[in-house]
Amino acid sequence: MSRYILRRLIQAIPVLLGATLLIYAIVFALPGDPIAALAGEKRMDPDIVDVLREQYHLNDPFLVQYWHYIVGLLGGDFGTTFAGVGVGDIMAGKFQVTINLAVTALVMEAVIGVGLGLYAALRHGGAGDSLILAATLVLISVPVLVTGFVLQLLLGVRLKQAGIDLFPVAGVSEGWRGYLLPGFVLAGTSIAYLTRLTRNSLVEIMRTDYIRTAVAKGLPRSRVVGRHALRNALIPLITYLGADLGALMGGAVITETIFNLPGIGQQLFSSVYLREQPVVVGIVTVLVLIYILANLVVDLLYAVLDPRIRYE
Amino acid sequence: MRVTKGARLTAGAALLALALAACGNSASSGGGTASGDLPVRMELGEPQKLFHPGDTTESEGAEVLAAVFAPLVGYDENKQAVDEVAESIESKDNRVWTVSLKPGYTWHDGAKLTAQNYVDAWNYAANQDNAQSANGFFSRIDGWADLNPGEGKTVSTKEMKGLKVVDESTFRVTLSKPFSQFKTMLGYTAFYPLPKVAFGADGRITEEYARKPIGQGYFQFDKPFNKGTDQSIDLTRYDRFPGKKPKFTKLQFKLYTSSETAFNDLAAGNLDIHDSLPPSAIARAKSEFGERYLDQADAGVAYIGFPMQYNKTYANVKVREAISMAIDRETIADKVFSGTRAPADDFINPLLDGYRAGACAVCVYDPLKAGEQYTANNGPKTLELGYNSDGPHKEWIEAVANSLRANLGVEVKVKPFEKFAGILDELDEKTYGGMFRMGWAIDYPSAENYLTPLFSTIAIKTGSNYAGWSNQEFDALLAKGDSARTQEEGLKFYQQADDILIREMPYIPVYFYRTNGAFSQNVKGVKIDLLNQIKWTEVEKAG
Repeated sequence: MSRYILRRLIQAIPVLLGATLLIYAIVFALPGDPIAALAGEKRMDPDIVDVLREQYHLNDPFLVQYWHYIVGLLGGDFGTTFAGVGVGDIMAGKFQVTINLAVTALVMEAVIGVGLGLYAALRHGGAGDSLILAATLVLISVPVLVTGFVLQLLLGVRLKQAGIDLFPVAGVSEGWRGYLLPGFVLAGTSIAYLTRLTRNSLVEIMRTDYIRTAVAKGLPRSRVVGRHALRNALIPLITYLGADLGALMGGAVITETIFNLPGIGQQLFSSVYLREQPVVVGIVTVLVLIYILANLVVDLLYAVLDPRIRYE
Repeated sequence: MRVTKGARLTAGAALLALALAACGNSASSGGGTASGDLPVRMELGEPQKLFHPGDTTESEGAEVLAAVFAPLVGYDENKQAVDEVAESIESKDNRVWTVSLKPGYTWHDGAKLTAQNYVDAWNYAANQDNAQSANGFFSRIDGWADLNPGEGKTVSTKEMKGLKVVDESTFRVTLSKPFSQFKTMLGYTAFYPLPKVAFGADGRITEEYARKPIGQGYFQFDKPFNKGTDQSIDLTRYDRFPGKKPKFTKLQFKLYTSSETAFNDLAAGNLDIHDSLPPSAIARAKSEFGERYLDQADAGVAYIGFPMQYNKTYANVKVREAISMAIDRETIADKVFSGTRAPADDFINPLLDGYRAGACAVCVYDPLKAGEQYTANNGPKTLELGYNSDGPHKEWIEAVANSLRANLGVEVKVKPFEKFAGILDELDEKTYGGMFRMGWAIDYPSAENYLTPLFSTIAIKTGSNYAGWSNQEFDALLAKGDSARTQEEGLKFYQQADDILIREMPYIPVYFYRTNGAFSQNVKGVKIDLLNQIKWTEVEKAG
């Protein structure tokens, strides 16, 4: 077991190195000069540009630049942005916001998605089931941009104007409440998928022989559903949640922008725009690491849920 | 792997702890304001860099610095420069300027403001080794060339010979050539002073200082700013400030990445002042805010530029005039921008002295004449129009293209660039030969600022003369204006230079910007000055 984990972690090292090289090369290959991008719409004095290029090793060939970066990275230095701020500091702050948001969304997905799916499966074919199916269809087909702005206007602005202060419009300065609305918007489509996934796999499992046996043995319904059916239904759900974590962390640009949360998605977007290689590579490396760890955890959870799976 | 009950319990507890930690973290990273003394909350975009005067040339950082630093000169109702920190700024020949400071100004750490602080700051910003973005603003000072010997060359001195401290509260600035607008220029961010503590042992501005700048203005930083993490910048009034102080004690800049979100926050009562409303919010702002909706002229101008230097397609001025007359500016201002722009009719903005309404006759929409003149002068059959898609430009550029298609009977290709720098790169490399969008916001309120940086011959290399247009008569008039004895006399020459632009049309002025804002019921007296900054001394808390 521990040898299995160790092997998986060692395998992660070349993946991480490869990812940094690849991302570094991609940002390097993007057209446009990062120093010029820094100047906005005014042209910078060529002498100043030269000093800055020198300072950030921009005149060196690609591999030399990459070497500078990796050497710094091994010493724990993520580099600095063109605005002179440490990439490590930026990432620490942004990841905190993103993790809060992603965890909020993930918990919502798991609780609401699995809950609704369970309800729909047990009322299979009933009015509640149909309603949930229709609702999830709507949730899947409306883009995040729309749900985000509509919910912000209705629950953030109008409700507050009516005197009920439940959901802040924007920002981390409002504490955990500030994550509720964006968390829900971000989780929206996943909630819908999870509901349908839970429902379908439960409906299927409830028809299997071993469930019929369990019912025939006279086990209480709660035990049949909770211990025998749901446990098996969880395997595809956990696979989905594990993969979704990465998407929640790196792909929340729109939600972060609408709700003014300074997270990783936004940072990645603006850094790609400004050609800030150190930031892009740093963030992507950490995201890759999170993906790898999440996959490992998912694999280990398989063994927990299904005793037939063993890792030696 | 078999799981015992104990293991499952720990796994569950760990998850719960993670979720709780997440909540705890978010709560502690809040703005944290005492309930008794609520700040005035102001909208701000993310500043591009940390704060120090010589390297802050973008609007968001400048807005913060304007609250923390007091300028040498401010601008009055009549758009004239008036002394603020300066007791007097005088010159007999517009070349040697003597600046003396009012007594009583101190830095936020208690140290006295001296003339040396100005000389230090300006020498630092003007040195090419320090790579400060405001470097070019000092190029008129004698000795600037010594600090900027060019690429790869070492700077042999640390001081400009044109800057001399006379006594503790007086310094003398010698320019390499007379410049009548020098005093007006001194209100700009780049000309703020720096205290001794700003500089580290190596003579460079420390990061510590740039995160929590110590100024000599009416507000001071509460704590260092963590760029990228902090969502607010909290300031407290500096009570030893000797000039006119704001009537409230706490000011908070709240950082937003989307101006729509900021507007929603304002509507929900979580923000007090928003001075950059997006066009999409204008209708709602008018109906919901009524009296508290702000709509006023802004000093910015937007143009369509021609690559005059190397593309002969646009060499005929009659063709350029025809293109100008074919653009329906009224419709663009009213429909595309919901009235948040005004049709341009001069190269100088109406907010400033020197503007003449209707000066640009060919800026008036005249589709018939445009079509005839274009055909008569064999205008090109296809035109290309470039813009940067990272700003709100697509709609109006498409509108211009439609005007041209309809009125000139030509094919117009609209070409989006990812950012403005992309247009500049392709213009430099001569791979793009079409027309391009261009905008200008002033650095200091003088008519001269619409002319020299955009159209003078030297601005081809160091300024923003992207057209590469060069005209000796124009350069000579600017020089005359610069060396004129009085502001008024200078203005006459600048207007004559403006006439040459109108005659030659190297760019086509399309619209003047307007500032649109709104404020909450918590504040009153919100006014915006010429440099687009809120006059904090006028703002009061209501109720």
